[in-house]
Amino acid sequence: MNIWLLSDYDPRKHLAFKSLLSRFSAAFPDTETEFQVKSRKSMWESLFAHLRDPKRNPLADIIEIPQNWTELFSRLGLLFDLSRRVEPLESKRYPGFILKELCRHDEARAFSAPWWIEAPALFYRTQALKGICQDPEKELASWEGFRATLDKLTSGGKRRNFRALSSPGSSGSVSVSDVLPRVWGRRGGLFSDDFNRATFTRDETAGGIEDWLELAVSGRIELFSPDRFENGPRPPEECAFIISSRKLAVRAGLKMLPYPGSAGSGFALVYNLAVSASSNDQDGAASFVSWAMEPQNMAAFTESFGVFPCLKSVFEQRLQEEREVDVYRRIFSAPELMPNIMVYPTAELLLERSLWNLSLKIARKEYTREDLNRELIMAQGEADYLLSLY
Amino acid sequence: MKKSGKNIYGQGERAAYDGRYAFIQGALAAVSEQFALDGASYYEYDEKNELLRLRLRRAFGAAFEHEENLRPTPASAAARAVAGMQPCTASSPAGRFFYFPFKLDSFDPSGGRNAVPRTGLVRLERSPRKRRFSAAEAARADAWLRAYFKDYYKAEFFSLARRQEKTISAITELTEVFATALRVRDSFRHILAGIQTYFGFDRVRLYLIDEGNRKLKGELSADIRGQIKSISYEEIPLEQGAHRFADIVLGKSSGAFMERYKDCVLYMPLSVQGVTIGLLIVDNLLSQQRIEPAELAMLKSFGGQIALAVDNSRLFDKVEELSLYDELTKLPLRRYFNQRFQEEFYRAERFKQPLALVWADVDYFKEINDTYGHQIGDVALKEIGRVILSNLRKIDFPCRYGGDEIVILLPQATGAEAARLAQRLCEEIAELRIAVPFSKARELKITLSIGISTFPQDASGLEAMLERADDALYWVKSHGRGRIALYSDTAAEKQKAAAAGGNTNGKS
Repeated sequence: MNIWLLSDYDPRKHLAFKSLLSRFSAAFPDTETEFQVKSRKSMWESLFAHLRDPKRNPLADIIEIPQNWTELFSRLGLLFDLSRRVEPLESKRYPGFILKELCRHDEARAFSAPWWIEAPALFYRTQALKGICQDPEKELASWEGFRATLDKLTSGGKRRNFRALSSPGSSGSVSVSDVLPRVWGRRGGLFSDDFNRATFTRDETAGGIEDWLELAVSGRIELFSPDRFENGPRPPEECAFIISSRKLAVRAGLKMLPYPGSAGSGFALVYNLAVSASSNDQDGAASFVSWAMEPQNMAAFTESFGVFPCLKSVFEQRLQEEREVDVYRRIFSAPELMPNIMVYPTAELLLERSLWNLSLKIARKEYTREDLNRELIMAQGEADYLLSLY
Repeated sequence: MKKSGKNIYGQGERAAYDGRYAFIQGALAAVSEQFALDGASYYEYDEKNELLRLRLRRAFGAAFEHEENLRPTPASAAARAVAGMQPCTASSPAGRFFYFPFKLDSFDPSGGRNAVPRTGLVRLERSPRKRRFSAAEAARADAWLRAYFKDYYKAEFFSLARRQEKTISAITELTEVFATALRVRDSFRHILAGIQTYFGFDRVRLYLIDEGNRKLKGELSADIRGQIKSISYEEIPLEQGAHRFADIVLGKSSGAFMERYKDCVLYMPLSVQGVTIGLLIVDNLLSQQRIEPAELAMLKSFGGQIALAVDNSRLFDKVEELSLYDELTKLPLRRYFNQRFQEEFYRAERFKQPLALVWADVDYFKEINDTYGHQIGDVALKEIGRVILSNLRKIDFPCRYGGDEIVILLPQATGAEAARLAQRLCEEIAELRIAVPFSKARELKITLSIGISTFPQDASGLEAMLERADDALYWVKSHGRGRIALYSDTAAEKQKAAAAGGNTNGKS
């Protein structure tokens, strides 16, 4: 049985998966499993390559996908209906906010099973904010407050590699996952509420993107940084602020707050397991998904790399055990998820391309606000055209 | 070495791979094992933006495809390795590293004849707790990788061979598809399916120009799975500025627009002998994947053939229509009717369903032609055809049987139902006013005489049914015209008259 997993900046995810597979192999010694890690881009390309030429480009039996790819690839016939094969799906044992998006169009069927969830939050080092921020909870609640505090952080004291802000999940350029929490915070979005038109250029959306880009323009975050490549992951002690979707060890004197400027609750990303409709072993693959969804397996896997499990009971239990339970309860009270609609993943790609172009301009110090306008107008035009087609 | 899914032939270290990435992934797996590494990564060097772009990784015994873009610090080991194309070692809190830069030629994805040089960097990695790469070990790793990368061109050659194979089969088979499109019933479907089989675009759409109405009309759309659906609901006025497709067909599209979409959309106007007949649109908009320039070039080279195939199919349909339909009345011709009559009769017989035959004749049609000329006669027939077509059910089948004689087949209809329809036709046609500008009356009124026969009441065979309807029609004609008669009624009257000793046969 072949499994394709999405790549992750945190190597612990793959170690956790290896360990999960070892336990599966111990429980089911007759089933051979092999896994391969694909970037979001290569996963996307592999799925489309299969659609174009299924014989030459076979799919893995089990695929990890962002939840909001489910509608697209199920409509293209790539995914197997798991609703009667995976017990938690059948009995809907997931939090309501996850099920709402997963079953947006079809309550009777489910083409992927929610596996793990992450939500960006703001971590700050109390020591670094001494004398700068009197009441972090209050002052860092808004984006403006956070931004003002960031401006005051000019030095890290004695630390040589001090950084005011770190975003460990960055792939080098500004990406959609970087800007969307801020866009959401401003009540923006890529589409209108009825999904009839793209709204990339709407003030709230463009403003949210601009807020994040401004961090890069002002040098608060470094684009295409060689830091991790040359020096490895930056220890939390060297940063005043960290925006991370993963839980961070509190031993570094870190405290946690919701993402600054989140209106209401937070923004979350959900990742699911799906079974390929062309798999020769759909029963075996569905059994693996069922096994991975068992509370103890899901709990162990997600705990290993600091994310939350999607199964309601395990999710609740994990929340209860969290040191920052109140913050997490706020974040997960009714988080916004990426809409699971057919054209959304493509719209993300369009925005991703715009952000890549802008990142290069910022890195070359050639960026102007007009560049953002131009890119967003182009991307919106294409997204609107897509909506007219699909 | 663990076998990769893309490993094409051979076992062990000198296996050959299908494609560049599969080969490099194989190299990372082999070198990790050979030098007891914790990880090995492959970066592509983007010279234009001076970025190292992580593509592949091998760690924890697994293959990774990864995306990370970074600009190495100018004096760093990686920057030095790439700039000088010299391998080097480095140590940092992140680990112990050996950098192996290389330059390889690959085929030009844009279809050019020249090879494209690519600069890459392989990084061998050990955790900070493990031993450094000694000079001797670095030299061995360098030699090992150099030897391994000698086989790179096998992978490149294999990819190229596969492309060529695809191109050749596309050329031969698509040529056949376009040539046979004329003969198949669903020729447009056949053409779109052929394009999708060999190119696999996200979507292919075909629009044809309706010259009469100055419109661009949607025909068919095929999706990435090859599913084809009608887009006949799409109608675009063929006027500048009405729609981007209209602008493209009219040659008025802006360059900026075409430039923006050139990587994932191709708008191909279809022209035959300099006349644009339609528009073929292929796109990868959903996947946002670039359509390879070589594929675009090949599809463009098929443009003429596609246009010809589409035009031929349309001509074929037109010829078929001309041979089966009367151009004046738009009613099917007798040859077509005979075929359908046979089918409908057998169906009625088999399922024991009624079948009615209406035989209509335009009253005094010869006189109309003689008095007002054939042009007025033609107008009258055209109007009659229009009225008939607008009053029939989908299953009814009318026919211009010859001259001014019209026959209508009414499946599953009884004599009474047929009479009701005939009555409606007579009434509507009687209301027609054919303009005759040069006559005193200025307009012409028309009436019909109609005879009806039914199965199974009146006849048990095809010929008999036609004869009985004809008999009923002549009965009407002999009794003053402008009326409707059912054969059963005329037969009863005849019997009565025969019993009374009179002659009721209208034929003379």
